[in-house]
Amino acid sequence: MKAIAGVLGAVLAAGLTAGAGAAENGALVTADWVADNLKNPKVKVFEVSVDPGVYERGHVPGATNIRWHTELVDPVKRDIASRENLQKLLSTAGVDKDTTIVLYGDNNNWFAAWGAWVLEAYGLGDRVKLLDGGRKVWEAKGLPLDTATPESAKGSIEIGELNTKVRARLGDVLKVAEGDQSSTLLDIRSPDEFSGKIFAPEGSKELAVRAGHVPNAKNVPWSKAVNADGTIKSKDELKKIYADAGVDGSKPVIVYCRIGERSSHTWFVLAKVLGYDVKNYDGSWTEYGNAVGVPVANLTGTVWQGK
Amino acid sequence: MLSPLRRFGSWPVLVALATLALLAAAAHAFGQTPGAVGARQSFALLSGAAFGLVLQRGRFCFLCNLRDLTRAGDPRGVLAILVALAIGAVGYAAVFGAWVPNPFGGRLPPTAHVGPVSPALAVAAFAFGVGMALSGSCLSAHLYRLGEGSPTSPFALVGAVAGFVIGFQTWNPIYLATVAEAPVVWLPSVFGYPLWLALTLGLLALLAALALARARAGAADPRAPLTLRSAARAVLVERWPFLPTGLLVGAIGTLAYLRVAPLGVTAELGSAARTAAGAAGLLPSTLFGLDGLRGCATVVKETLLSENGLFVLGLVAASFTAALVSGRFAPARPTRGQVLRGLAGGALMGWGAMTALGCTVGVLLSGIQAGALSGWVFLVFVTLGALAHDAAAARLPTRAAA
Repeated sequence: MKAIAGVLGAVLAAGLTAGAGAAENGALVTADWVADNLKNPKVKVFEVSVDPGVYERGHVPGATNIRWHTELVDPVKRDIASRENLQKLLSTAGVDKDTTIVLYGDNNNWFAAWGAWVLEAYGLGDRVKLLDGGRKVWEAKGLPLDTATPESAKGSIEIGELNTKVRARLGDVLKVAEGDQSSTLLDIRSPDEFSGKIFAPEGSKELAVRAGHVPNAKNVPWSKAVNADGTIKSKDELKKIYADAGVDGSKPVIVYCRIGERSSHTWFVLAKVLGYDVKNYDGSWTEYGNAVGVPVANLTGTVWQGK
Repeated sequence: MLSPLRRFGSWPVLVALATLALLAAAAHAFGQTPGAVGARQSFALLSGAAFGLVLQRGRFCFLCNLRDLTRAGDPRGVLAILVALAIGAVGYAAVFGAWVPNPFGGRLPPTAHVGPVSPALAVAAFAFGVGMALSGSCLSAHLYRLGEGSPTSPFALVGAVAGFVIGFQTWNPIYLATVAEAPVVWLPSVFGYPLWLALTLGLLALLAALALARARAGAADPRAPLTLRSAARAVLVERWPFLPTGLLVGAIGTLAYLRVAPLGVTAELGSAARTAAGAAGLLPSTLFGLDGLRGCATVVKETLLSENGLFVLGLVAASFTAALVSGRFAPARPTRGQVLRGLAGGALMGWGAMTALGCTVGVLLSGIQAGALSGWVFLVFVTLGALAHDAAAARLPTRAAA
């Protein structure tokens, strides 16, 4: 497996002269591009998968594992990863100041997208890319997988302070709920969660006390942005899908879901693919739906698991 | 008994060949699904078949191997288990070296069966030991004996499902009292890989020496000249010797961990019990902490057959095939005693496997191979449970031996 990757890398590295960024300018890179850049010292690949053991049983050769539930969040308080921890994670993985960071993962790149959003919040946005289609496409194309854990020399990366340009807080969302029209609120959960028919998808342990959605929010489920093969739809298709729901990029957008990870996917699509001004509300429904005294739109009237 | 070659063409062999062909066709069909899912499913089915084949041909059964030693002074079965543990530990160490280069980093190897070490584990393993002695087999052996047409095994498996449901009912208080804060001890994180492996192999060698010291001289093994017929008999009819049996179980355990998951036979059974109990309203609305613990996970079923379900299906089918060919497929009408012992022993094993998060395969075999202290604790208490049952049964001369 390694030998195949090695040969592939050597052959393709010979054809690479202009460096990593030149081949793909957008925020999405194809599986083939990643396969071509496995030996490129300026490209570092990370897997962010939800299911344990997925990375270890075979990952993109040379990719480093990120465990989102401890490494991309604060493990004690509810918050995104601290600057110190993220700095340590990236430099240990060998990320230099000019390294292009490629993220991919299982479950349609949900947590890889969360990673892209966290890195954006720390000012690394322009060199963070998402492997379009994630693991699903990589596996479907039969590209090589490796089980070894890579080790790298310490990288020279320096990440900045957390900026709030891409992060919305409860107060920002409350403004829209109370009628402020300067930004558009987009709920990307399923229609049944949006309407209040259910509190959360089957199996979710983190719940809200109230069902429904933030008043004035539009609903476009995250999955509308994805093709059957797992890749993200074309820009024209995306523009139409979101414009039909009233999100056309003319106003800043705030996206949310249940815990902020599926909404990272839509954040990525709107902000990085379409170039809109978008904030992700990572508190999402598990914060808003538990907050006391905030207005709620509950179309089905579900209260306390009943009616 | 007819020679296997002469019996070629008789109905058991034809049924066996048809079963094998079905297994192969199913494995091929799963492999056609694009992506890694189909490949994993295919591997799960085939590794289950390989495991079932080795269990049946090597008579790799934790209880009968123990009884062979304690009752007949025959150490071969116990040696097969010890060899499987040793080879599996070496294999796991090789995998760990690639996946978790630094064992001191505070992380457990992904999906390895490293469970919490609590009094509940000891009690559950003891109950499991009593249950397997009462019903005549541990759960993995009941599965392969299902393929031999055993009259007890179906009842033991039904009893195990009931035992699982009882286990779910008692889980929350047990979890809060003993499991929640129990230490999860992964021995390589204490000793490092080289010392852990040396200690494991040393301890297994010591146990092997003890088993051999108890051995009573049996009939000498006359070596027949190797002909096509004697070779076929050795592979297809006679019980496999301990060394290849242990080596194969250890190798299958390592490969299964590398590709899909550690060996375990109760996840699918437990999931079925959990789903059925949930539908019948017999499940506590929350099972505290259960889904965050390592071992044979009992998740509410979302698919008809999980990877573990395919593994178990492959196990039973291959054991059935091997039993047919070796002339060990002998279905019989169950007696009342077999039904009762199967149900009662199965229930004890189900409760034990639910509470201990696995059985002799999931906790003992896959745990010790992975360097889990929980595996060793299970080994000690399951043995004590089985011996306690046998000692008690010996005092009741009226009851037929199980």
